[in-house]
Amino acid sequence: MTSRNTQRTVIIGVARSDAHAVANHLIAMRLREAGFLVVNLGVCTPLEEFAEALSAHPDAEAVLIGSLNGHAYEDLADLPALRAAGRLHCPVIVGGNLSVGSHKDGDERERLLRLGVDHILDDADQIPLLLDLLHAARVTPLTGV
Amino acid sequence: MLPPWTEIMQYIRKSPKRQTVEVLRAAAARGRPVVQPRCGVGGHGEMRTLLTTLEQRGRPDILTITIDSFTRLKQFRSAAQTLQRDPAGLNGYPLVTHGWRRGRELNELVDAPIEVRHGSPDPRELFAVALASGFTSFEGGGIDYNLPYSKDVPLARSLAAWAQVDRLCGVLAETGVIVDRELFGTLTAVLVPPSVSLAVCLLEARAASLAGVRCLSVAYPQGGEVHQDIAALRSIPVLARRYLPEHVEVFPVLHEFMGVFPRDPDVADALILYGGLTARLGGAAKVINKTNQEARGIPDAEANVAGIRTTALACTDLLDFVRVDEATVEEETYWLQREVAELVEPVLAAPDLSAAIVEAFTDGRLDIPFSASVHARSEVIPKRDSTGAIRYLGAGRLPFSRPTLRRNEQCLRVDRASLSGRLIDEIRSDINFFVQAETRSQAARLATRAAPTRSAVTGPGGAR
Repeated sequence: MTSRNTQRTVIIGVARSDAHAVANHLIAMRLREAGFLVVNLGVCTPLEEFAEALSAHPDAEAVLIGSLNGHAYEDLADLPALRAAGRLHCPVIVGGNLSVGSHKDGDERERLLRLGVDHILDDADQIPLLLDLLHAARVTPLTGV
Repeated sequence: MLPPWTEIMQYIRKSPKRQTVEVLRAAAARGRPVVQPRCGVGGHGEMRTLLTTLEQRGRPDILTITIDSFTRLKQFRSAAQTLQRDPAGLNGYPLVTHGWRRGRELNELVDAPIEVRHGSPDPRELFAVALASGFTSFEGGGIDYNLPYSKDVPLARSLAAWAQVDRLCGVLAETGVIVDRELFGTLTAVLVPPSVSLAVCLLEARAASLAGVRCLSVAYPQGGEVHQDIAALRSIPVLARRYLPEHVEVFPVLHEFMGVFPRDPDVADALILYGGLTARLGGAAKVINKTNQEARGIPDAEANVAGIRTTALACTDLLDFVRVDEATVEEETYWLQREVAELVEPVLAAPDLSAAIVEAFTDGRLDIPFSASVHARSEVIPKRDSTGAIRYLGAGRLPFSRPTLRRNEQCLRVDRASLSGRLIDEIRSDINFFVQAETRSQAARLATRAAPTRSAVTGPGGAR
């Protein structure tokens, strides 16, 4: 078993208004299998609590937020304010089912990116790959990028 | 304001209606389950119409009032506001807001007794209004209405709230009013291993009977593998005799499949028929029906009537010719009861049951998969075996013996190393078990149309 300070850490949870637990548990399971220390905040988690978890685990590589009920934009509305306050400084990844509701998928992605979301994933299978890419970029920063 | 206690007692005693407990006793004696739908809408007039329509056209033996989410969470003001603005925006009937007078009106409107179904970790106000309305059947428990529904209500708090309800049932029982208390073994409704469901219900049943409850319905969710489901239903009275006081009446109840439902109404109807048959073969006293609109959300009255009738049909003598492999049921029964014993006996041995339950969930010695609550660890990983039965791929910290773990491993026969990459997909497909049956049947139909001669030889048997 690797010790805590060398283990890669991620913070995961489901957006504030969303109580879908199953995918959240499956993703936590997959990431733990892949060797991550998973801080799982579970369903109905306000953005503020993701920020608190990040200050408790400052070495976390990313914050992963699931949203299945179509309210991702409303649930993440505090992101610019938290970022401006110097919190939630790590990559924020959002995934799930973003197209439910009045906004079409494309618009919704655009709106989320404008809020400051760094990456949007359609498929939970892409999570380990994206985390590896982000990790590699952090360990060996590309000059000039 | 509620009427005085003596007035409520008088109202219930004088009621000419059959009480739920009597309906259940008759069903158990007859050996055929009675059928109960779920139903609840926000507006009072709409609720009246719904109950009358279901009664007149579906003839269920027990009816339901399903309560809205605001009321479940004691947000009575939000319930009242939404009721005023947009009653259709409520996902159930806000009984506390409508009040006991309207409750009595509903009670007197139909012949069938009414059960209140909800999902509240603290149901005390709701129970008081239900009782004042004359409803003597009430679903839920301190574990099963907390962990699947609430993120952060401590178990000690929900157990204490429900203990108050159960003590009141005890007081009522002493004056001759028997409240049927149904326990929600369905839990998160997603791949719940049968021994987890039964263990949670038995612990709640034990707590309830110590508080004075005399009539308990233990509900078990149809998993989909018939031998396992029959074993679980038939184990309910056996385990009740083993772990509960003698004077408590216990009725096994089946909830028709609660997971992801097929979209095709015909396939959904077949699954509903299968649920009714499972209930009868397992000796359930009651079965809660699904509808062929399940995949779309809350059903309309029409679909609910059809669901009631299809389920009732499966419980008539039409399907009495069906036999299952009793040796397989017996083997399932042995291991299931052994798992339950390994889960509940350490908890029952403690002097303070409620504290022991809280501690066991904290330690993970009791656990449920896919919990919405932070007060269960959800380290249990369920998986279907090749027959469709639900097993433990990972038992987390459950205190299982080596033979129990070995048996689960043997049933699953998986190569863990090769599984790890596909684990999420595999569990997802286990969750979508009946949707995949639907996909297979559609594919088979297409194949028949494309190549009629070959498919006649191949047949549907190779689908698995």
